[in-house]
Amino acid sequence: MSQHEITLVVNGEAVTRTVSARRLLADFLRDDLHLTGTKRGCETGVCGACTVLREGAAVKSCLSLAVQSAGSTITTIEGLSDGVMLHPVQEAFMVCGGLQCGYCTPGFILSTVALLAQQPHPSETQIRHGLNGNLCRCTGYTQIVEAVEAAARKLHAD
Amino acid sequence: MSESTLGRPIPQINARAKVLGRAVYAGDVQLPGMLHGKVLRSPHPHARIVSIDASAALALPGVRVVVTGADSPVTPWGVHHKERYILAKGVVRFAGEEVLALAADTEDIARDAIDRIRVEYEVLPSQLDPEAALAGEGPFVHAGRTIAHEIAFSRGDVDSAFAGAFLVHEAEYATHAQYPGYLEPMASVARIDADGRLEVWTSTQSAFLARARLASALELPHSQVRVRQATTGGGFGAKIIEDANSLIAGLLALRSGRAVRLVNNRLEDFQAACSSVPERIRLRVGMDQDGRIVAKEVDIVAECGAYAGLAPEVMHVSAMRSDNMHRITNVRSRARMVYTHTPPHGAFRGFGGAQMLFALNVHLDEMAERLGLDPVLVHQRNAIGAGEVSVHGWKIGSTGLLDCIDQATAALQWTRKRASLPATGSRRRGVGLATAMHVSGNRTIGNWDGSTVAIRMNEDGRVLIQSGESDAGQGAMTMLAQIVAHELDIPLAHVHVALPDTDHSPWCIGSLASRVTIVAGNAAAVAARKVRDCLLDAAVHLFRAESADIELAGGTARLRADPARRATYPELVRAHVWRHGGEGIHVHGTWDADTVMPDDDLYGNISPAYSFAAQAVEVEVDVDTGRVSVIDSFVADDCGKAFNPTAVHGQSNGAAAQAIGWALYEHLQLDEGRQMNGNLADYTMPTADALPSLRSGIVESNDPIGPYGAKGASETAILPGAPAIANAIHHAIGVRVRELPITPERVLAALAAAAAQKAGKEIGHA
Repeated sequence: MSQHEITLVVNGEAVTRTVSARRLLADFLRDDLHLTGTKRGCETGVCGACTVLREGAAVKSCLSLAVQSAGSTITTIEGLSDGVMLHPVQEAFMVCGGLQCGYCTPGFILSTVALLAQQPHPSETQIRHGLNGNLCRCTGYTQIVEAVEAAARKLHAD
Repeated sequence: MSESTLGRPIPQINARAKVLGRAVYAGDVQLPGMLHGKVLRSPHPHARIVSIDASAALALPGVRVVVTGADSPVTPWGVHHKERYILAKGVVRFAGEEVLALAADTEDIARDAIDRIRVEYEVLPSQLDPEAALAGEGPFVHAGRTIAHEIAFSRGDVDSAFAGAFLVHEAEYATHAQYPGYLEPMASVARIDADGRLEVWTSTQSAFLARARLASALELPHSQVRVRQATTGGGFGAKIIEDANSLIAGLLALRSGRAVRLVNNRLEDFQAACSSVPERIRLRVGMDQDGRIVAKEVDIVAECGAYAGLAPEVMHVSAMRSDNMHRITNVRSRARMVYTHTPPHGAFRGFGGAQMLFALNVHLDEMAERLGLDPVLVHQRNAIGAGEVSVHGWKIGSTGLLDCIDQATAALQWTRKRASLPATGSRRRGVGLATAMHVSGNRTIGNWDGSTVAIRMNEDGRVLIQSGESDAGQGAMTMLAQIVAHELDIPLAHVHVALPDTDHSPWCIGSLASRVTIVAGNAAAVAARKVRDCLLDAAVHLFRAESADIELAGGTARLRADPARRATYPELVRAHVWRHGGEGIHVHGTWDADTVMPDDDLYGNISPAYSFAAQAVEVEVDVDTGRVSVIDSFVADDCGKAFNPTAVHGQSNGAAAQAIGWALYEHLQLDEGRQMNGNLADYTMPTADALPSLRSGIVESNDPIGPYGAKGASETAILPGAPAIANAIHHAIGVRVRELPITPERVLAALAAAAAQKAGKEIGHA
C-alpha cells in the first residue's frame, strides 16, 4: 500500500503526516490525530456520525480518504468552539435536549452548522430534509429540530 | 437555598461533554501498544468446522495473536442456558457466529489478516422455520432440544367465561425482529493491567453483569476482572448481557498480553447484536356487550434463534404482562420458544411487551368495532385502577392510564376525526389508539431488586456519586444528581456522578426493566439523607445544640434560634473528619423494593410500581401504492413524576420513532438464514424527514413508592406505537393488517383481499 505525505489544516492547526493511500479520513482523525469526537457509526456514509466540515461543507469522513483532504481545511467537533464558550449550535443541542446518548451528536451539530450556513432561517421541513443524512436512534428528532430552530434564531438574530 | 431542579427542564449533566465531542466511548479509548481486534464469522447457518488454516494470516507482519474455538475457554456462557462459546467449538449454529478472532498492530493489518484465514466447513442442514422446529422433526440446533423455554398458566374459569361471553374473537398476529440500532456499535478495549488483572472498558447497560460474564466465560475470579463503563451510545436492551464483543476483546487481551480494541463495524453489529424476539401470537378474547373483557386465551410461538440468551424472559413478559393492565380474572396462556439456526434474539426496549401489545390492542380495536363502541371506551372500561391487585397478583400503586388516554385523544382531536366520513380519494386518513403498561423494576432478576448508591462529600462540600447503574443516554446520571442535589440542597453543578467501575462502584444490576429511577433513585435519596445526618451530627457538636434546633439549607448549617451561628458544608465535612479519626463522609444508601418472587404458579407482585402509556396517531394511507405515512403522533407517558421533562419528552419521542420504525420501515431480512440487509442503508431506520414532529405528554400519577412519586419512563412509551398505527390504518381504509412490518405490499394485499371478499359476497347475494 503506497504511503503519502499530506499536509492539511485541522481545527486551525497545520498538520503533516504520512498515511497509507487507503487510510480513511475518519480513522486518520480518530486514530492518528486522536480527535475521537468524530464517530464511526456505519462506515458506509449512511448514519452521519462521522460528519466533519471540509472547507465549511459537511463531509462524511468514513467515505473520504485522508489523502483526498490534503491541502484542505477541516473542522471537527473539537474545533467548533474554544471549548469554554460553546458554539450556538452546541449550546442549543445541549439546552433543547437535542441529544441523549450523544454518539450521533458531533455529526448532527456539524451538519447543522453547514445547513445554517446555507439556509439561515430554515423551515421545519427544510431542517428535516437538511439533516436526513444523519441518524439518531434516541430522540425521535423532535428536540433536534427544536435545537436547530433555536440555534438559527441565535445565530441570525437580525 | 439552592433551587431544586426536580421537575424542571434541564440539560443532562453530561450533555456539555457530548456536544464538545469530549465524552469517551469505549472505541475512543487508546492505550499504549494497543492492538486492534477483528472477528471472522460463519457464513453458514449450520456447519461443522472441518479445519481452520491461519498460517497466511500469522505470516503477515504485525499480526500478534490468532484465537479459535479450539484454544478458547471450555466454559460455555449464556444467561440461564449456558450453551454458547466465546468462539465456536467445532460447529456453528448461525450465520454470523464468531469462529476466529485475531489482533494486529493496526486495524488495516487485522482486516487483511482476516481475509487470509481459510476455514473449511461441512455445511449441515439447518432449521430455519419455527413451526417445523416446534414439530420436533429437526434438524436440531442443540442435540435433543427443540424448545428453549415453555410456560403455561391458567387462572379463573376460562372455558365457562368464554361460553358466557357476548362476543368472542380469535385472530393470529405476527411480529418481527427489530435491530436495536443504537448509533454506537458494540465496542470494548481490554488490557492486562500491571497486576495481571483483566481491565475492560466497554459499552454496556450493566458493568457488573459484564464482569460476571467475563469472569465466568474467561474462567477468572471476579476480583481479577475490572469493568469500566465507557460513555455508552445507546443500548435499547441489546447491551444488557447478551453481547460477545467484550468477551472476545478480553480473550484477545489475555492471549496476547496486550491491550486490544475490538469495535464492531455495523455489518458485524447486525450479526452480533440480539434483535428483538419474533413471535406468532394466537389471541382469543371474550367480551360482554359493554366491551369488558371476560376471558382471554393466548398462545405464543416465539423464536430465540441459535442461543436462548434473555429471549425466554422476553417471551415470559409477552405471555403475562398485558394481563395486568386490565380488570380481568379468567386468563389462560401458553408460550413456547424454539431454537432455529438464525442469529439470536433477545432483550429489546419493552422486553416482550411490544409483541403482545400489538396483538392485544389491534384485537380490542376490532372487538370495539364489532360491538359498535368507540375503542376509547373499551380501553377505559377495562383499565385496572390504583389500589387494585391484578390477576397475577401485581399491586397497582398508581396508574395514570385514563389520563394518558385523555391526553393522547384530546391532542389528536379524536372525537372529531373518528366521526369524519371515510375519504374516497387515493390518500385516506385515519386515527388509531393503543394503550400499554410496563414494570418499573423486576424482582425476578434474583429475588431482590435493590440498588446501592454511595456518596462521598469532599472537603469543599461538593459530592461524588458512585453507582453501578448505567446511563446509556437515557439520563440515569442526571436523575441521580438531581435527587442528591435536592436532598442536600446544593447546586447541581456541585454533584459529580462517576461512571460505573466495578472496582469502585457499589454492586448494581444495571439499566434494565425500567428499574433505575425508582430503585436507584430511592437509594440515592437514602444515601443523601445519611450525608445530611453526618453533617447534622457535626453541627450538633460544633454548636453544642440539639439536632432539632439546627437547619441544613443552602450548603450551610444554622442554629434556628440564632442564625448568626452557622457553619458551611466544607467546615462540617472537616469537622466530621476530625471527629471520626480521619474518616471522611462516605456513605452507602441501599433500597430494595417490597416486592416478591412469583410463586410456582407465577403469581406475585414483581415490581415496586407499574407505568402506563397511551398513544394516538393519525396516518395517511395511499391506497394506490400501499404506502403509510404517520401524520401526527402523541404518546402520553405516566412516569409517576417527571424529574426532568426535557428528558422524559426525549424518551417518549425517541420511543415513538423506534415504534414507527418497527411498524412500518425496519425489516431484518434473512435468506437461507443469512442476513440480507445488515446495514443502515438497506435496514431503514427512520430519518428526520420520515417522521412528523412527534409529540408527547407527561402524566404524573405520583406513585406512593417511587422517589418523589417517580416511576420508570421510556420503555412504556415504545409499546403502543405499532398497534396505534395498525388501528389508524383500519380507520383509514377499513382493513386489518395483523403482521408486522406493515409494508406497502401487505397493505395492498389486505386491500385486495378485502375487495375480493366483498366481491364474493356480492356474487353470493346475486
